[in-house]
Amino acid sequence: MSALVVAQLRERRRSLLSWGLPLGLWSAFVVAIFPSVESALSKAVANYPSALKEAFGIGQLNTVEQYLHAEMLSLIMPLAVAYLAVRALASALSGAAESGRLDVLLSAPVSRHRVVAAGFAATAVEVAAVLAVTLALTMLGSVLAGAGLGLGPALAGIANVWPLALFAAALGVAVSAFSLRTSVVTGSVAGALVAMYVLDLVGRLDPGISGVRYASVFKYYGNAIEDGIDPLAFAGIVAVAVAVAALGAWLFDRSDIAA
Amino acid sequence: MGPVKAIETSGLSKRYGGARGIEDVTLSVEAGEVFGFLGPNGAGKTTTIRTLLDLLHPSAGSAAIFGLDSRRDSVAIRARIGNLPGDFGYGKRTSGREALAVLAKLRGVDGHERAEELARRFRADLGRPLGELSRGNRQKVGLILAVFHRPELLILDEPTSGLDPLMQEEFLALVGEERERGCAVFLSSHELDEVERVCDRVGIIRDGRLIAVERVADLLGKTGRRVEVEFAGAVDPAELSAIAGVSAVEADGKRLRFRVAGDVDPVVKALAARPVVDLEFARPTLEEVFLTYYEEGGS
Repeated sequence: MSALVVAQLRERRRSLLSWGLPLGLWSAFVVAIFPSVESALSKAVANYPSALKEAFGIGQLNTVEQYLHAEMLSLIMPLAVAYLAVRALASALSGAAESGRLDVLLSAPVSRHRVVAAGFAATAVEVAAVLAVTLALTMLGSVLAGAGLGLGPALAGIANVWPLALFAAALGVAVSAFSLRTSVVTGSVAGALVAMYVLDLVGRLDPGISGVRYASVFKYYGNAIEDGIDPLAFAGIVAVAVAVAALGAWLFDRSDIAA
Repeated sequence: MGPVKAIETSGLSKRYGGARGIEDVTLSVEAGEVFGFLGPNGAGKTTTIRTLLDLLHPSAGSAAIFGLDSRRDSVAIRARIGNLPGDFGYGKRTSGREALAVLAKLRGVDGHERAEELARRFRADLGRPLGELSRGNRQKVGLILAVFHRPELLILDEPTSGLDPLMQEEFLALVGEERERGCAVFLSSHELDEVERVCDRVGIIRDGRLIAVERVADLLGKTGRRVEVEFAGAVDPAELSAIAGVSAVEADGKRLRFRVAGDVDPVVKALAARPVVDLEFARPTLEEVFLTYYEEGGS
């Protein structure tokens, strides 16, 4: 299986630049401008409607960690990295089917579920590498601008995106069992993630229907840069992702791979 | 119990919802045999191959390769086969050598000497990304990936599409060598000439159904030879039409055109009774044979 993982990572090596660099530079920019906007922000946030602050998890923006969470980690980074994950996963399955690679691989003595497992593992590694580049550039921005971002909180905040991305990849595996068209896989998973985000948002805004949040992975995402990683939520999302991926692999094993 | 067959299908069917894929395909390929699988586009050749490879799951019937169930034992089967898909691809940025390295690891093959030797023979560029290669050059890489590990069964779907005539010759030579080695070959094609040259037996598939399986020589015999004769004077075509095996007689002045199947001796004797100016005796092409079966199946 390691041969498949390495091959997949080699095929996707450009994502470190195409995803890690923009996300890292954007994050570094957010951190770097914090010292110059800090006082104005505090005043602005004080005037925000409380429902808005509640919906987007904005407490105060007195620290660079709070600002990084509000600007990057609450919405942009999880959605962007989750989308990267489903793209990476799709490249291993639907993309491979479209390019003909899947036919060639499945002519060799390797089972379908190993191909799925390799694609999922390679996606997990790729996402981790992109997040590592993002973290490194973010810290660089902080050091250069003297923003004072702590490595521990930044690591926790950025690492907390990883389970969410795995969950997106797992959904991608499940969808791949029904369609091996990349546009269908990425589109439906992106749609599901946005729907979950909206569900979580609505649940936060209206306490009367807060129960709907349980159906959204974003309920368990939290605010790790400020509160630290919740080990239960982190492990729980990873476990659910692995379970969904395993179910997807089982379904994929039983599906037809059309020419 | 006889020797294990390379391929054996029984009532193999594949339907896509209500649409037809293949229906009740029953055939067998012996070990060391080159089996041609003929049919036009959409007849069900690729569906049959994909079902054998467990890429598609049969709606009914079964397929066994080397006595192993194509569904349950697919991984063990794939350790013993080589497959060249109809339109070989692997990924635009990957080179043939990178693809080879992955497949060699999956197959547990250490050295790449045979692949490199085949690359030299077919003038295949294993170093360039596949996305930069023409279809024919990609196909050469696919062929190398299908045979480098010396499989016991080669499944080739339209293998020569895109190859230039010289490389087609080289390919046919390679198929012959693989057969000499004891490898069975399942060759799907609509290049009838190549099937005629390398195959022991041929299956003809039409609208998803296998309509004939014959030895190539028998197929040719059934369709008969085309004969065109020019006599010194006018002749009565009815005299020839009366001879057993003669059909499709056409007269055009002093020329007669007809088809003869089976024993040609009575025909030669009948022709020799008159002064013959010119005589052409042509073996039918497999295409004509194929069309004959198609017409028979359609009627």
